Amino acid sequence: MSEPNADLLIELVRRASPSGHEAAAVAFLVDWMRAHGLVAYVDSAGNAIGIRGPERARFTLMLLGHIDTVPGQVPVAVRDGALYGRGSVDAKGSLAAFAEAAAQAALPDGWRVVVAGAVCEETDSRGAYHIRDSFEPDACIVGEPSGVDRVALGYKGHVWFRYTLAQAETHSSRPEPSVGALGAAFWHAVLSWSENANQGYERHFDQVVPHLNAINTRSDGLEAVVVMSISFRLPPRLAPDDVRAAIAPLAAPGARLEMDRGVGAYLGAKDNALVRGMVGAIRAQGRRPAFVLKSGTSDMNVVCTRWLCPLIAYGPGDSHLDHTPDEHLPLDDYAAAIVTLRHFIEHLEPAAELAPAQGTTLPAEQRGDL
Amino acid sequence: MNQVECVECGTTVSVPDNVMRGEILVCQDCGTELEVIELDPLTVDLAPLEMEDWGE
Repeated sequence: MSEPNADLLIELVRRASPSGHEAAAVAFLVDWMRAHGLVAYVDSAGNAIGIRGPERARFTLMLLGHIDTVPGQVPVAVRDGALYGRGSVDAKGSLAAFAEAAAQAALPDGWRVVVAGAVCEETDSRGAYHIRDSFEPDACIVGEPSGVDRVALGYKGHVWFRYTLAQAETHSSRPEPSVGALGAAFWHAVLSWSENANQGYERHFDQVVPHLNAINTRSDGLEAVVVMSISFRLPPRLAPDDVRAAIAPLAAPGARLEMDRGVGAYLGAKDNALVRGMVGAIRAQGRRPAFVLKSGTSDMNVVCTRWLCPLIAYGPGDSHLDHTPDEHLPLDDYAAAIVTLRHFIEHLEPAAELAPAQGTTLPAEQRGDL
Repeated sequence: MNQVECVECGTTVSVPDNVMRGEILVCQDCGTELEVIELDPLTVDLAPLEMEDWGE
């Protein structure tokens, strides 16, 4: 078995792949997987797919990474044992570790491993939606930077709204509020609703968090318009439609409130075979494992709407460096993640022992699948 | 039914015969979550802590 090295990761990071422009990185990864014993191809959504193990294996482990990045060039360089570059942490480190581990591991009987490099995770998750509808895995690890010692059990949901209000222009000396003021009033009402909805919930993961992304006014001299973009990070107890139902009555008469898109939160159980296996794999490396709940979203929020198997997220790197100009991944962490994942794969239990996903607090049809 | 000692408060914790490595038990006395890290001999340690983090 070859020693893990960072060549795959470095070459992936060198191939810039902002969302929608992943083809070169996808082609490279597919070629690499073919050269390392996987059956690999580009699917119709543009995702890189690699499969190792019998085609008719009883059980499937899905290692779902994403190959796209946010925009912005970070010069690619190895300095002081760390790889700098856009996507090194979010999330080519996880994806490359998946591919290395899948290529190196001795697969247990009955299992096959699918490595997916999904496109457009940072925008509309179109790659993950396609993968979700193409596979029915028995367990899934989503590739995101949890840190080598930590298993991510859940991600908050996310929903976006557009609020538009138009009214005839009036002289500013009149007492009626402007559309800008009415928009601000709606935002303050949203804040009050959120504050009330969070009463009694201490964990940030359990709180609904509104965010005013933009507020713009315009006028053609006859009509004034305010357009606001508002989003919410959602706890498991609130689906996107719940928020719409709650804030719609707060809108001014005549206002239009549109839900752009949304995904519900996911919170998995901490005591199923998938979690036990990863925690054991982390301990086997002499590390002390921890669980983490994430305030962001990931492709986990997409696939959980169909896949009822256990889901976790795992990958090397510090997520605080996501999307920053200082994005870098310690190569020791990358190597440790490969060893940990390989250990996990080689000790997979029969899928019959995999408990169904527990702790997901909303049924699939309510978790948002927009 | 086997028994182990809670590593936090020392209370005796009952463990089912079919317990699995990695299974999480809860001390009925202090509420601490305990992870079964070895089956023979039966050994528990503090279960992984649950923390929160920003980002993806």
